[in-house]
Amino acid sequence: MNLGHRIVRWGQKKSPWILHFNTGACNACDIEIIAALTPRFDLERFGVLLKGTPRHCDVLACSGPVTKQIRPRLVRIYEQIPEPKAVVAVGSCATSGGVFGGLYNVMGGIDQAIPVAAYIPGCPASPQAIIDGFVKLLKTLEEGK
Amino acid sequence: MSEAETVQAELLAKFGFLAGAVKVQRAKRVWVEVNRERFAQVFDFLVKGLGFSNLCTITGLDEGADLGFIYHLARDGGLMVNVKTCSPKGECIQTITPYFPGGGIYERELEDLFGAKVEGLPAGSRYPLPDDWPEGEHPLLKDWKPKGTGSGEKGAKHD
Amino acid sequence: MTEKERIVRVPIGPQHPALKEPESFMVDLRGEKISAVSLRLGYNHRGIEKGCEERTYVQDVYLVERVCGICSHSHSTAFVQAVEEIAGLELPKRAKYIRTLIAELERIHSHLLWLGVAGHEIGFDTLLMYTWRDREAVMDLLAALTGNRVNYGLNTVGGVRRDVSPEQIPEILRVVDLLEERTKYYIDLALTEETLAKRLVGVGKLSKEDAVTLGAVGPTARASGVDRDTRRDDPYAAYDEVSFQVVTDDRCDVFGRAVVRLGELMQSYSIVRQLVKNLPEGPVAVKAPLKIPAGEAVSRYEAPRGEDVHFVRANGTDKPERVKIRAPTLANTQSVAKMLEDGYLADLPIVVAAIDPCFSCTDRTITVRGETSGEARTLDWEELVRFGVDWHRRRGVDFSKVAIRGGARA
Repeated sequence: MNLGHRIVRWGQKKSPWILHFNTGACNACDIEIIAALTPRFDLERFGVLLKGTPRHCDVLACSGPVTKQIRPRLVRIYEQIPEPKAVVAVGSCATSGGVFGGLYNVMGGIDQAIPVAAYIPGCPASPQAIIDGFVKLLKTLEEGK
Repeated sequence: MSEAETVQAELLAKFGFLAGAVKVQRAKRVWVEVNRERFAQVFDFLVKGLGFSNLCTITGLDEGADLGFIYHLARDGGLMVNVKTCSPKGECIQTITPYFPGGGIYERELEDLFGAKVEGLPAGSRYPLPDDWPEGEHPLLKDWKPKGTGSGEKGAKHD
Repeated sequence: MTEKERIVRVPIGPQHPALKEPESFMVDLRGEKISAVSLRLGYNHRGIEKGCEERTYVQDVYLVERVCGICSHSHSTAFVQAVEEIAGLELPKRAKYIRTLIAELERIHSHLLWLGVAGHEIGFDTLLMYTWRDREAVMDLLAALTGNRVNYGLNTVGGVRRDVSPEQIPEILRVVDLLEERTKYYIDLALTEETLAKRLVGVGKLSKEDAVTLGAVGPTARASGVDRDTRRDDPYAAYDEVSFQVVTDDRCDVFGRAVVRLGELMQSYSIVRQLVKNLPEGPVAVKAPLKIPAGEAVSRYEAPRGEDVHFVRANGTDKPERVKIRAPTLANTQSVAKMLEDGYLADLPIVVAAIDPCFSCTDRTITVRGETSGEARTLDWEELVRFGVDWHRRRGVDFSKVAIRGGARA
């Protein structure tokens, strides 16, 4: 998809494609992200789709407090996502380190490594909170902030 | 006699030097303390002679001048024998991978987190610390403190 | 390029040789088969054991709960049990029953989760959607009983923090009835749907001898005929007061691991019914001291993934001297290389998924080296899953043609 198409789609805000990345989370938020996509919660009705590669995604949804080992990969994946892009920190750990804040092998949140556009709190973030967070992000993008 | 007491008796019968060093904490929990020089023969007897075929894990301990090691063994039926030994910091201990090929991961943990030196470990990647972790820094030693980022200090936020 | 050497390359971008990125899996291929695998672990290492020494026992209950967000109750229970043993606390029976109830509900949610994930790894996404919808019934129940879908915060040193009310009992039984029906259906599906057999039978073989030598635990070990289950062998909480079967299988393959987990679900439903029927009256906790007297204890727990071992050394203060945690996945990863040996690359995702690893699989990178080309290609997990699905589809295994019957709304 060329840059022109991307900007058109981004401008339409109709179907952000998400890449999900775990930076050392306990897995609870990761499960809830996937649960948000199952029929009970159905994040897909907002056009949000989970995609496997950075090249085709618009939003990077990250869980976890960023362990030192995973940090280079997180940064590299972020760099490989073409503009325009946004990062969502899902869960308390991704937001601020959460319960792992201060432990010797964690950075303390996604924004310690890459810029974050939206934070979804919770331990774990519930599927409802995740959907709410994504909808708010979409509205913000629509308003051109 | 309970199963735990039976194992206690078998150990004392085989190794006179263990007198006073084998305790039954409760059902299914036996604790043995043995010095480094005699560890291998006790370990061998437990695994080969008494059927303790499950090495649950190895706990490392910072005991000042020494590093402590507890080998948590179990067998069918659920009885656990916890074998405690120690070794001065900087000295080598022998690998138990000839008995437990999967147990190397616990020994690598001891090396990374306590600076233990395990002789005879087959080649493999370190665990659990990252490749660029600074040499000589062993986080689970009592006097180790994290330096720089990762200690809860927040770096400058990105815009 | 011949089909033998063709490996789907992930458009993750140009390689940056300067960026040192340890791969999770390094795979050497001989043709389409795996000749050697090495694993690099540690991505999830956070430093929890050190953190435990710097926090009080009360704080540590919440920290330890988050070692793994799928079997969080397993870790928090294993931890408090060790502390309670050192402190010489005698728990009220009702507390033990409630802990056991949540433990089995956790096993149920975890095994249903696994079924869905396994479905995804073999290209059977419909199975993911249906099992996870069924699973929502137990998630709702856990939320009603504990206040959270995950990371329940139920345990405290000395007991549990919440009681089960009589009004909640019928709902527990209703969910168990519903899920038992669904599980029977999934068992039937597993045994009759040929497409599943084609993908899972004979895959990821691990002999009984290797399972023991390499230290496998849980359903992974039991599917290789190893008759070990901590609930029966080293009983804790209320397991000495319920009767259940330990489910083993002799297939030694991925199919066997699925059969064991399905069987365990059925056992869990029975255990939950017994607990609810015989729930003793009384308090749900005893008062515990903030400072724990010097002492040591080892606590073992049968988590959904297998034996979870916690060692605690107390020193008379309100903080532990040492906490050592051996989660079941660490034990099971030692068998994965053996399971993958001489298997097809296309089966790597399901073989790894079949140990039910407690780390997020979707971001693992795999480096694959072909014997003829010699050069290494890097794939990410989802691409390898797609490669596997396509590879099998060319051989007649196509889940898009398999329908699933949905159950009543949870």
